[in-house]
Amino acid sequence: MKKKVISILLSTAMIATVLGGCGSSSETTDAPAADTAAPAETTAAAETTDGDTAGDASALAYAGELEIMHYSTSEESQGNGGSDGFRTVLADWDAAHPDITLTQNILANAEYKTQIATLAAADDLPDVFLLQGMNTIEWAKQGLVLDLTDTIKSSPYYADYNTAYFTPFTTEDKIYGFPCLTGGTCTVVIYDKQMWKDAGYDTFPSTWEEVEAASEYFNGQGITTVAFGNGGKWQANSDFMSTLGNRYTGPEWFASLIAKDGASFEDPEFVAALAETQRLFTETSIFNPDYNAVTNEDAREYYIAGTAAAFIGGNWDESYIAATLQESDPDKWANIGFAVLPQPADATKAPTSQNIGLGYAVAINSKVAEDPDKLAAAIDLAEYITGPEFSTFVAEKYALGGLTKVADVDLSGFDQITQDFYNWSYVDTETCEIYDSYINSAVWDVFNTDLQDLMNGDKTPEEVAANAQAAYEANY
Amino acid sequence: MLRTIKPKGWVVALYLLVPVALFVFTVFMPLITALVYSFFEWKGGPNKTFIGLENYVTLIHDATFWESFWHNIYLVIVCIIGQIGIAFVLVLLINSKYVKLKGIHRTFGFFPSTIAAVCIGLIWNMIYHYQYGIINWFLKLIGRPDLCKVWLNEPDLVMLLVSIPLIWQYIGYYMVIIMSAIASIDTEIFESAEIDGANGIQRAFYIVLPLIKNTMIVCLTLCIAGNMKAFDNIYVMTAGGPGTSSMVMAMYGYQISFNQSNMGYGSCISVGIFVLSLLVIGGSQKLLNTLTKEKD
Repeated sequence: MKKKVISILLSTAMIATVLGGCGSSSETTDAPAADTAAPAETTAAAETTDGDTAGDASALAYAGELEIMHYSTSEESQGNGGSDGFRTVLADWDAAHPDITLTQNILANAEYKTQIATLAAADDLPDVFLLQGMNTIEWAKQGLVLDLTDTIKSSPYYADYNTAYFTPFTTEDKIYGFPCLTGGTCTVVIYDKQMWKDAGYDTFPSTWEEVEAASEYFNGQGITTVAFGNGGKWQANSDFMSTLGNRYTGPEWFASLIAKDGASFEDPEFVAALAETQRLFTETSIFNPDYNAVTNEDAREYYIAGTAAAFIGGNWDESYIAATLQESDPDKWANIGFAVLPQPADATKAPTSQNIGLGYAVAINSKVAEDPDKLAAAIDLAEYITGPEFSTFVAEKYALGGLTKVADVDLSGFDQITQDFYNWSYVDTETCEIYDSYINSAVWDVFNTDLQDLMNGDKTPEEVAANAQAAYEANY
Repeated sequence: MLRTIKPKGWVVALYLLVPVALFVFTVFMPLITALVYSFFEWKGGPNKTFIGLENYVTLIHDATFWESFWHNIYLVIVCIIGQIGIAFVLVLLINSKYVKLKGIHRTFGFFPSTIAAVCIGLIWNMIYHYQYGIINWFLKLIGRPDLCKVWLNEPDLVMLLVSIPLIWQYIGYYMVIIMSAIASIDTEIFESAEIDGANGIQRAFYIVLPLIKNTMIVCLTLCIAGNMKAFDNIYVMTAGGPGTSSMVMAMYGYQISFNQSNMGYGSCISVGIFVLSLLVIGGSQKLLNTLTKEKD
């Protein structure tokens, strides 16, 4: 008898474990930002806000659970202004709404992308989540995301919104999300002013020909001229082609590609950009030879270690490099300079352009609309975490910009490098679009894989263009 | 007495219920659902369109999928030679009377099998690293920096290079299996062979191998099945790159399903992997059976 009881108990326990394992793995965090920097500062900010922001809990009738899924992990928030700001305002909102249980599911970016795609496929998206620009059209078509056009237009912060940021999340004149986190560049050349001065350049060269000439000097010193890492396959697209392509095609071409107005990957201007990319990586010795085997995280270490005189990457690399050098090598940190991607000899457009934007937007699951009170809470949350509280926080603490404009950012309190990067990002350069904020992942996945072959010299620019065009026609 | 030893039917059923339920839930259900989804165009989200066999037609003409399939076959061949071959030799060495500290050899041999594949991938990434890797460091040390390469960016070499960590990882695993098989051979056979003057190689081929034939067939099946579904090491080391030079079937399925959000075609690829793996495993077993039967 005893044995029977035990066997039944054991079986039940096992089944329970199995079923338990299938359930949601989300973590409920009451105060997710408790471990981030300067919580006291933000609490003060929340208290001073008026009326329609976090302090206004009474306006929401909803009580219960609200899920949000995002990728601002506590590790990521160390040194990354956007993540730190996101976690901070989220915690403020959570604290201001004790009746609402905010359930956060936080994953690192790469895992986030996979999981959110899986949840979308299963039609099981969380209430509030971050929508990547290139998924907008497909997910809107499938009815997964709520049309927020009217909500956004009636938002109390609408007048302050930088409306250009809505473009990747807009399809057929409907807007599907509040662009979030910080507007950062995806293509910046970070260089060591002293090393380039020693090579005979006062600033980073504005043409590839000059960089090529400089590479002879640097190679003689055993130093890589420019470090780049495309091991993850996406970097050459986001951090290189997206800007270099614009130098050949101009913004109209990409706008036409998005709108399906006749532009093609096989257009001669774009093929010329691919050919130049191939030439730079295979025929010159500008880059570290292992550019296709290492990631951007590895390549920026070459710059930090001083074995590379410059590095090409995104704003996330800039914040890491600056934070690391400031601590480990203040002299090298003071020598950080910023430049746009050099101009190819046969390119005619936008020589000072860099691709900048907000890659993700806070979107709401269309099922939330079934409960108007819950929807109101979700909208309040989305507005708040992308609103002036966030922008002010990242502007004052990190000199970064968000969706809402912050008037007269006082840069004087920041160190020189932060000021330089702010001016470079938002003032001194022309902007262009980030390719993979648009169109869709099926096209870019094919393109990114081929780009790696192109940079090895194993595929011709024409083949890459033809494959990308085929994927574009089949999937978009 | 007998009644206590032989439990009642319902007790047996209850015990079986858990593993059977587990199996149905984790293996059978996904297989069936994948089969169903493979007939749909499903780009994520709730909308699915039935398209019949269109995904399968695409699959048959998909050059990348077949390239990945041949990469899997390459892995199988290299790993049979590397994993089982080396494991067999090592077991014979460890079992020889000249080797001391057998326990330590066994433990260290098995050790890599206990490390997560992701960690192994990272460790070997460091070994192959262009600037900091031990291989290029050694080449520079012996005065041959001209031989230094960006190892994982060589399309012709990359499949071999990603196989090496796999071989290294699983030698210990097969060592343990083969060792236990050899331990069950009666020592008198070896003693009489030694008296008859058989040397080590002769003993290995004419005594050990025929006597552990069935275990070796199990090892081969495990090795083939394991390498037809290879994923994690390669994902960490190259993510299938450069281009598709180290793409394997499971990774291609993953890429299509999750990077390209093409769940319908991704499911079709999974079904393709399942069928091809069954064919390869079934084919190899048939081959092994006929080969060994002829000898009998």
